[in-house]
Amino acid sequence: MASLPELQARFAAALRGDPGPIGLDVVDDGLEAAGRLDIYRNNARAVFEGALERTYPVLRRRVGEDYFRQLAHDYRERFPSRNGDLHGVGEHFARHLAETEAESGYGWLAELAELEWACECAFVAARERPVGPQALASLSPDELSLARLRLQPSLRCVASSFPVLDVWRANQPEADGHAVDLKRGGQCVLLSCDEDGLDLVEMSTAALAFTRQLQAGASLGSAVDESGLDLAELPGVLGMLFAGGLVTAVTGSSMECDSK
Amino acid sequence: MSSSPMANSSGPVPAGAGIGLRSAHHEALVRERPAVGWIEVHTENYFHDGGPHLAALERARAAYPLSLHGVGMGLGSVDPLDRAHVARVARAIERFEPALVSEHACWGSHDGENFNDLLPLPYTDEAVVHLADRVAEVQDLLGRQILIENLSCYLSYASSRLTEWEFLAAVVERAGCGLLLDVNNAYVNSVNVGLDAKAFIDGLPAGAVQEIHLAGHTRRQVGERTILLDDHGSRVPEAVWRLYEHAIRRFGAVPTLIEWDTNVPDLSVLADEAARAQRRLDGVRGLAA
Repeated sequence: MASLPELQARFAAALRGDPGPIGLDVVDDGLEAAGRLDIYRNNARAVFEGALERTYPVLRRRVGEDYFRQLAHDYRERFPSRNGDLHGVGEHFARHLAETEAESGYGWLAELAELEWACECAFVAARERPVGPQALASLSPDELSLARLRLQPSLRCVASSFPVLDVWRANQPEADGHAVDLKRGGQCVLLSCDEDGLDLVEMSTAALAFTRQLQAGASLGSAVDESGLDLAELPGVLGMLFAGGLVTAVTGSSMECDSK
Repeated sequence: MSSSPMANSSGPVPAGAGIGLRSAHHEALVRERPAVGWIEVHTENYFHDGGPHLAALERARAAYPLSLHGVGMGLGSVDPLDRAHVARVARAIERFEPALVSEHACWGSHDGENFNDLLPLPYTDEAVVHLADRVAEVQDLLGRQILIENLSCYLSYASSRLTEWEFLAAVVERAGCGLLLDVNNAYVNSVNVGLDAKAFIDGLPAGAVQEIHLAGHTRRQVGERTILLDDHGSRVPEAVWRLYEHAIRRFGAVPTLIEWDTNVPDLSVLADEAARAQRRLDGVRGLAA
C-alpha cells in the first residue's frame, strides 16, 4: 500500500502525463484507472486554461480557441501553477510569448499580453483617496520642482512597439474585433482602475517616461529632466493625472499633503 | 478609495437558503436584493488589495450575511502548508467578517506544483492524521473553526480502509472542525465510485454539519460507464433534492447554499433554486415545531 506521500507523488505524475503505477491503487469499478485519471488531468488543464483565458481575453479572441489552447499548454509546461490562487497564473505569459513567438510573426502577442497583465494587476490593486491639483497651487517654482507625487497603486505604464491599445479596444466584448494595422507603430499606454473599472489612455513617449519617473519616486523637476518631457506638455500631463484621481499625495522637502 | 472596515456586521448565516455569489451577479444582487438568506463567495476571488470586485463584495456584504468558501488551500497535500495563502484567507476574514469559513477535504499540490483541483485523499488513518493536523493548524492560524467539505470524486483508492463518513468523522473529532455537507457531491459519488449516499449522510456526526451545498451536475458517458461531472452548471436534479430532504430530516434546518459556477444563469434562477431549498427547510421546521 502506497503511503500518502507516495500516492500523491504518483497521482501528480499521472496528472503531468505519466500513467505510472497509480493504476495499481485505483478501484476499477467499470472504468479503469487511466480513464478516471483522465478526468482529473482534463480538469487541471481546463482550470489552468480558463484562468489564463480570463486574464488574456483579448489575446484569446485574436488568436482563436485552438491556438490559445496550444499557447496555454506550452506555457503551462514551462510555468505550471505554483499557487492555490489562480489569479497570478498568467504572470509570466508575456515573457513566455516573447521568448517563443518572436520568430513566428506573432511578436506582437507578447506586447499584448504585457498590456493585459497590466490590466489584471491594475484591476485588483488598492485605491487610495486622491488629492486635487490645489496641492500644487501654493508652491513656489523651486518647491514645485522638488515636489514628489505619489500615484495610485493601480497605475501602470506600458510602452509597446505595436499598436496594442488599438488591438485591445477593438477586441473588447462590445467591439467588433476589426483588424488593426500592426504596422501603424507603437503606443504608450497609461492604465488605471477605479470602482467603475479600467481606464486606458494613450500618451506620448515622453509623458509615459515622465509618469514612470514619478512612479519611481522622482521629484517633478527630476522627472521632467530624465524623461525629456517638453515643459509645454507638463500642464497637460499633470492635469490628466489629477483629473483621473491618480495622484494620492504631494510631498517634498518643505510640504506634505496627502490623502490621510 | 482604500478599503475600510465593514460599517456593521451582517450577523450569522441563518438556517435558511442562500446563493453562491459570482462576479456576474455583483451588480444585480445589490440592485435586485433577491429574497435569499445569505451569500457565499470563493475566498480566493477576494484576496487582493482592492478593485471593483472587492468593492462589490463590500456592498453585498452590507446587505447579506456572508460565508467565505476556499478552494485553494489543499489541506491534505503532503507539500508544506502554504502559510502565505492562509495569511491571505486571514486578511479576507478580517476584511469581510464572514459568519462561516470553509475549505475542502482534499489535496491539491505536489512538489510545489499546484493542480488547482480538489484531489481525493485515501480514507486511511494516515490521511486522517495528516488532514486533521493541517485543519487544526489552519484553525490555529485563523483563530477560528473552519468547516471542511466532502468532495466529488472520480476515483476511489483500493488502499482506503475507512468509509468516507468514517474518515470525515475522524477528522472532525481530531481537528475540532465542522462539516460542510455537499449533497450533490454525495450523489455524484454514489454514481462515480459506488458510495451509499444515504449511509454516508446517516454516518456523519450530526452536530458537526453546519452548512449544506446543493448544485447540479452533468452526465457523461466514458466508455461503458456513466460518470457524473460535478460542474455546478445546472439546476439541482430531482435525485439530489430527494437526498437533501433525507439530509435535513437528519440534520434539521441547516444553512443551505445553491452553487452555480458554470453557465451561470440570471440571478432570478439562483433565487428560484434557493426558494426551493427554503420550502424544504420550512417543511423540516414545521415538523420540528
